[in-house]
Amino acid sequence: MPDMVSLSRAASGQPSQFKTPYSENGGTILAVAGSRFCVVAGDTRRTDGYSQTRYAPKVFRLTDKAVLAVNGFSADGNMFVNKVRQQLEWYRHGHARDMPLHEIARLMQTMLYARRFFPYYVSNILSGIEEDGSGAVYTFDSVGSYERDTCRVAGAAQSFMQPYLDNQDDWYTRPSVHYKNQRSTHSSSRPTQLPLSSVLSLVMDSFVNASERHVEVGDGLEIYVVLAKGSSLQGLEKLTGAQEVTATSDGERVFTVRRSLRRD
Amino acid sequence: MSIMEYNGGSVIAMVGKDCVAIASDLRLGNQALGVSSNFQKIFPVTDRIYLGLPGLATDVTTLRELFRYRVNMYTVKEERDIEPETFAHLVSSTLYERRFGPFFIEPVIAGMSKTPAGGLKPFIAATDLIGCLNFAKDFVVAGTASSKLFGVAEGLWEPDLEPEDLFETISQTMLNAVDRDAYSGWGVMVHVITKDKVISRTLKGRMD
Amino acid sequence: MFLTRSEYDRGVNTFSPEGRLFQVEYAIEAIKLGSTTVGIKTDEGVIIAVEKRVQSPLLESSSIEKIMEIDTHLGCAMSGLTADARTMIDHARVTAQNHAFTYDERIKVESVTQAVCDLALRFGESVHDEDAMMSRPFGVALLIAGVDELGPQLFHTDPSGTFVRYNAKAIGSGSEAAQAELQDKWHSKMTLQEAQILTLRVLKQVMEEKLDHNNVQLAQVTPDKGFEILNETRLKSVIDLM
Repeated sequence: MPDMVSLSRAASGQPSQFKTPYSENGGTILAVAGSRFCVVAGDTRRTDGYSQTRYAPKVFRLTDKAVLAVNGFSADGNMFVNKVRQQLEWYRHGHARDMPLHEIARLMQTMLYARRFFPYYVSNILSGIEEDGSGAVYTFDSVGSYERDTCRVAGAAQSFMQPYLDNQDDWYTRPSVHYKNQRSTHSSSRPTQLPLSSVLSLVMDSFVNASERHVEVGDGLEIYVVLAKGSSLQGLEKLTGAQEVTATSDGERVFTVRRSLRRD
Repeated sequence: MSIMEYNGGSVIAMVGKDCVAIASDLRLGNQALGVSSNFQKIFPVTDRIYLGLPGLATDVTTLRELFRYRVNMYTVKEERDIEPETFAHLVSSTLYERRFGPFFIEPVIAGMSKTPAGGLKPFIAATDLIGCLNFAKDFVVAGTASSKLFGVAEGLWEPDLEPEDLFETISQTMLNAVDRDAYSGWGVMVHVITKDKVISRTLKGRMD
Repeated sequence: MFLTRSEYDRGVNTFSPEGRLFQVEYAIEAIKLGSTTVGIKTDEGVIIAVEKRVQSPLLESSSIEKIMEIDTHLGCAMSGLTADARTMIDHARVTAQNHAFTYDERIKVESVTQAVCDLALRFGESVHDEDAMMSRPFGVALLIAGVDELGPQLFHTDPSGTFVRYNAKAIGSGSEAAQAELQDKWHSKMTLQEAQILTLRVLKQVMEEKLDHNNVQLAQVTPDKGFEILNETRLKSVIDLM
C-alpha cells in the first residue's frame, strides 16, 4: 500500500517536520467464496519493524453470516472492526435482525469514505453468506472503493499469493478458483467453484508458501469457515482442530481452524 | 519512478531433472504505455547456456552485445565453449565494473554444465544489477513481476521434473504471475534446455 | 394555589396532576376534524384512500394532495393539519434515502414509521442553547403503507408518537363509523381489488357529498409495482365496480 504521508512529502519536495501517524504491521489475509460457503484466513504475526508478536488476530466474526479480515495498520484495523460491530448492534436494535452481507459492505464503504482525508490505513476483506445462500467476498481499499470477488488476498504477501490462487485449477481437469483470471468484467456469472476441502488445503498451502518467502508472514494461521443455512459439514467434522463458533441456531454456521506456521 | 520499472518485463529460470528452463514475457513498455509485444529478453550464449536480461531496455541491447563480445573473446582465447559457472562470474564481474553507475538489468542465467564424469547437470543463477550472484537450487526470478513469480513458483515447483512437466510448470508460473503485473505480459517465450536439445516455444497470454 | 386545567394547557410538555399532556390530547382531537382516510392491508398489497373535501366549485380538486410517496415501496396518507405532514414526510423521505445510501437496501416499513414517530415528541425541546425547532405537537395522523421482506404492512401514527400496525384502519372525521364498517367487512383472504372497493364503500358511507373520481384519491403499494396513486381511468373503473 502506498504511504500517503510520504507521497505528499515527496510531492512537495520538502522533508516533513511531522512523523507519520501510521505504521504498517505486515501480515496477510485471504478469502475465497464457494457456492454455499466461504473461507477467510489470516496469519497471526504482527510486525513492527524488526520486532514481532506471534498472536494478533486479523480475522473477526461479525455475525453468523459475516466475517471481516483487516490488514495494514493494526491499530486502525482493530478500531475499525469495533466501529463496524457497534453499527451492527445499532442496526440490530433499529431493525430487529442481523444486517445482511451486502448491506455491511455498503455500510463499510460509507464508514471508510467518511474518513477520506484521514483514512483508516487498512485493507478490508469482508466475506460471508449472502441472502441467496451464496458465498461472497467483498474487498475494499482504505477509502471505501469495493467490489465483489471470488478469491482475494491482501497484505504483505498479496503479490505472492494472489497469482498462485488464480492458477489453482489443476490446469485442465478441475474448475478453477478464479477461472484463470480470464473472466470478463461485464459477465455477471461467477466462475465454477471448488469444494470446501480443496479450498481449505489451498488456503493452508498458500500461507505455508508465503511464510517461506516473506518475513512478515508466519507464526500462526487462523481460518474461518462460514457455511450457508442447511448445508452439510462437507468434511469439516473430520478436520483436526475445527471448532464451531456459531452464535444462533438454525442459520448459517461459523467454524474456526488454527494451524501453526514458521516462526522464523 | 524507478528506472527498473521504466520498460517492464520479467524472467524466470527453473531446474528440472537433467534439464533447465528459462522463460520471459514479451512486453516492451514505456511506463504504462505498451510499445511492443515481441521484445525478446532471453538470448543464447552457447548451445547450452541462455541468458535473460530483464530491466532497462537500452541496457538489454547493450549488455547483449557486450556479453556476445566477451564470450567470443573467451572462446577464441580458450578454444572451448564457456561453462555456465564461468559465464555467471563473467556476468557478475562485468556488472560490478559499473558499481557506481550500473546497468539497470538483473540477469538470469540457465544452462547445462559439464560434470567431472563427463555428464551434464542443470545450472541456474541470477544476479542483482551490480552483479551479486545467487546460485539457487530450485528457481530464480527477476523483473517487475518477481514477487509474483516467487509466489507462484514456490507453490508449483517441485524437484526432478521431466522436460515436459518442467515446461508446463514454468509456463503456468509465468502466465499467472504476469497476469497480475501491469508492466509484464503480452505473451511469453519459454526455452527448455536438455542434454541433447533446446525446446523453444512462444505462449499466447492475455493482451491487456 | 389550585391550578385549573387551563393553566396546565400553557406548557406544551408539562404533565397535569392526573398525568396528562393536554396539548398532545388536543392535537389528537384535531385529527378528528380532518377528512376521512382509510387503509386496508391484504396479502397482495396495501390500499390507502382519502376523501378530498372540495369546499368550492372553483377549487381545483387535483391540487389537494393527501397521499404522498415516501419511497418506491412506501406510501402515506394523512388526516388532520396536512401542512404538518410535510415536515414528517420530508423526514421519512430523507430517512429512507439515507438508509438506501448507507446500506444498499430498502428500509423496512416499521423502521421508517419509527423514524417519523421519533419526530413527534420533539416539540418544545431545545438542544443546548439553540431555539426549539417546534413549538407544538403535530396536528396530523398518518397511515403509512409499505412492502418489505415481511410482506405488505399498514401502520398508524398519531401526534403522541405512538405507532401501531393494523390490518385495516380509518382516521379523520368519519373514522368511528368507518372503523366499525372495516371491522365488519375485513377478512384475511381479501384480494387487492376487494380492498380497493371496500375502501371506497367505507368512504362513501361517511362522506357528505356523492363520491366520484374528483373527491377521492386511491393509492396502493404492491410487492411488484411498489407505490402508485391510481390515475383517473383506473379510479373510475374501481368506482364503477362498487
